Amino acid sequence: MALTGRLGLLALLGALVPILVPRWWALLAVWGVLLLGVLVDLALAGNVRALRFHRSGDTNVRLGETAQVALIVENLGRRRLKARLRDVWPPSAAAAPRTVQVDVPAGERRRVDMALTPTRRGDRRAVTVVVRSVGPLGLAARQLSRSAPWTVRALPAFPSRRHLPAKLARLRELTGAHIALIRGQGTEFDSLREYVDGDDVRSIDWRATARRADVVVRTWRPERDRRIYMVLDTGRTSAGRVGDIPRLDCSMDAALLLGALASRAGDRVDLLAYDRRVRTRVEGASRTDLLPAMVHAMAPLEPELLEFDAAGMVSTLMARVRQRCLVVLLTELNTAAIEEGLLPLLPLLTARHLVMIAAVTDPRIGEMADGRGDLAAVYDAAAAERARAERRRLTAELRKHGVEVVDAPPQEIAPALADAYLALKAAGRL
Amino acid sequence: MVIQSPARAQEAGGEPSARQVAGRRWRSARGVVAALLAMAVIAVILAALRPSGSPERLDPTSPKKDGSRALAEILKQHGTPVTVARHAAQAVDQSGSGTVMVVTRSERLTQDDIDRLRGVQGGLLLVEPTTPVLEALAPGVRTGNISFANTADPQCSLQAATLAGTVTLGESQTYETSGNAVSCYQVDREARLVQVQDGPRTVTVLGSSTPLTNQHLAEEGNAALLMNLAGARGSVVWLAPDVPAKGAGAGQESLTDLLPFGVKLFFLELVIAVILVALWRGRRLGPVVAEALPVAVRSAETVEGRARLYRASRARDRAADALRSGARERIVPLLGLPRTSAQDPAAAREIVAAVARRTAQDEAYVGAALYGPEPVDDAGLIALTSVLDDLERQVRQS
Repeated sequence: MALTGRLGLLALLGALVPILVPRWWALLAVWGVLLLGVLVDLALAGNVRALRFHRSGDTNVRLGETAQVALIVENLGRRRLKARLRDVWPPSAAAAPRTVQVDVPAGERRRVDMALTPTRRGDRRAVTVVVRSVGPLGLAARQLSRSAPWTVRALPAFPSRRHLPAKLARLRELTGAHIALIRGQGTEFDSLREYVDGDDVRSIDWRATARRADVVVRTWRPERDRRIYMVLDTGRTSAGRVGDIPRLDCSMDAALLLGALASRAGDRVDLLAYDRRVRTRVEGASRTDLLPAMVHAMAPLEPELLEFDAAGMVSTLMARVRQRCLVVLLTELNTAAIEEGLLPLLPLLTARHLVMIAAVTDPRIGEMADGRGDLAAVYDAAAAERARAERRRLTAELRKHGVEVVDAPPQEIAPALADAYLALKAAGRL
Repeated sequence: MVIQSPARAQEAGGEPSARQVAGRRWRSARGVVAALLAMAVIAVILAALRPSGSPERLDPTSPKKDGSRALAEILKQHGTPVTVARHAAQAVDQSGSGTVMVVTRSERLTQDDIDRLRGVQGGLLLVEPTTPVLEALAPGVRTGNISFANTADPQCSLQAATLAGTVTLGESQTYETSGNAVSCYQVDREARLVQVQDGPRTVTVLGSSTPLTNQHLAEEGNAALLMNLAGARGSVVWLAPDVPAKGAGAGQESLTDLLPFGVKLFFLELVIAVILVALWRGRRLGPVVAEALPVAVRSAETVEGRARLYRASRARDRAADALRSGARERIVPLLGLPRTSAQDPAAAREIVAAVARRTAQDEAYVGAALYGPEPVDDAGLIALTSVLDDLERQVRQS
């Protein structure tokens, strides 16, 4: 039940009655009339209890796009229902419209179209549906709140997918039907062909040459069916915002591009999100399923305010992956965290796997380093130079351990990681 | 309900202009400003409406314009002793059948005081009496309209008035009478001076205090009228009551006793209406949805914090060190030297020599810029950055 402003207004006007007739019964009469009006309204208002809600529509939406979710209101009662309806969603679902006026004749259904434009990644659950049906006098209303469950999952936006065609073209150059694939482009034996001037003499296959009149060389192509294990750091450093985007989202974008590229290249791609425990895992997905599986696994991930547990991550990884693979760790090059956590464990990892670390640089540091003019700007520049120097030192240290480091600003991290992968592939280092 | 995220706000129209900000502030503040203005206007009006007059108005010892010392002095000079009483009880004690009691400022009399004054034997001159005083001491006299006619002629048989002739009364209360009262200075059959006989008392009611004041006493026949009225019985007790002590005689009736029943019901209904409106506004169409918000930490926050720490502690040495090593990092690859030499003290001489060669600068100058001591003051630090920038640019261009 709910009251209306009209009732309050009438009660206010009713206050004039005892001024004119200063008797108790006058006031009681005013109350009686108001109460009667309220009772009449409650009795004659549309029956909100006889409503049933059904839903249909989108369950997934890429971040930044709009999902259409329909709410079907079914009136099982014997009377027509005119009511104001609010489909309640969390604020970050940005559901519109806020309220709608519905008019459902007895025994019929009406559809209410809701447009959801989530502002953040993750699952958005419908909270409840509230219906308020005001009586004919407009003094009181029946109100009911009933749940109509539905979940819309906002998937990562994957803005770097526009880089995919260019990277795939480069990949085809490496693997495809292009001529003169010779030693150095890969280590997997492909086929034999006749020697032409300029071929590396080391590629000559003497046994085949002996069998034929011509000199024959072996051709090579990049390996296939290598394993790539991506590890997303969801610890505290991933919560830091670069521009207006959390580091984690940049990392996800890069991971998605690399995943898409590597799966087309015929490699097996697995994903692990880790801070102090396994947040999510995608393993053994087929080439076609990989991208949807990764996107769904990533959607609900949020940075945890915990220190990344490098030892735990390494032991999890070692337990799960026996054969050699490319471990891509998407994290932040934070001196303290890396030096204390990951660095002592790197020999363990690098002994069996090829390790690549991808980190997002903050363009703000660059802006600060270029700051000149007043004292504050100069101190800013000094602090930024100091941060850069630490980062350089850490990168050098990691490279000394045989780790590939990709360090790029947020817009370039995804293509830079893809390029690094392609370079490894071209060099046959996978 | 829906939290507007900053990103959406920016989409809507970018950074708001100063004009928009001012407009928004004005829109949000104008209600408060209007309320303050209204309060100021009401306060001014109330102040203007407050009855003017000093606390010593009609006081027989006050020489101010609205005091009455002149009248008291004249009475004394003409052989009529004037006793000033500050309390009703004191005045009643000093009065007798041979006295005329002048009662001014009767709004200061409590109900107890009025009851005491009923026992007065001699004459009573009530100047601008309040309604309770009038009802208690002058039976048959009721208040009428206000008259604004300045001067007035007696038009009656009262000797005191006829002898005085025309007087200036200014703004005056008028009275309606019944029975054997003498009415003088009439306007539309309502009198401004009334005399009634109430048992042993002769009660005279004067509707204006103007003739008594020092300022107006000398005008027309004012002095004569008052001397005739006050000096009628040989001596005068002037009751100019003090403000009654808090609680003395007052407060038998609370505010609720004074309110009419209808008004009480009105307020009750008002409370009910407010409760109903509160229930109307308090009932939401659906719950408030709480949602865990993501952490918003800027990635560069630690670096900015370090910059502020440097500044707070004036760490010129560390700042200069960081700036120099950063510049060396950028210059060294341009010189064709290995990157590692940038932080290697042993390579300092080689780097300085190479930079001096490329930029045609003095070796000592380059050395001081790239490896010098810490700047002595803040200006030195700022100057160092520009020197380093210059060197770097020259190396790049050479």
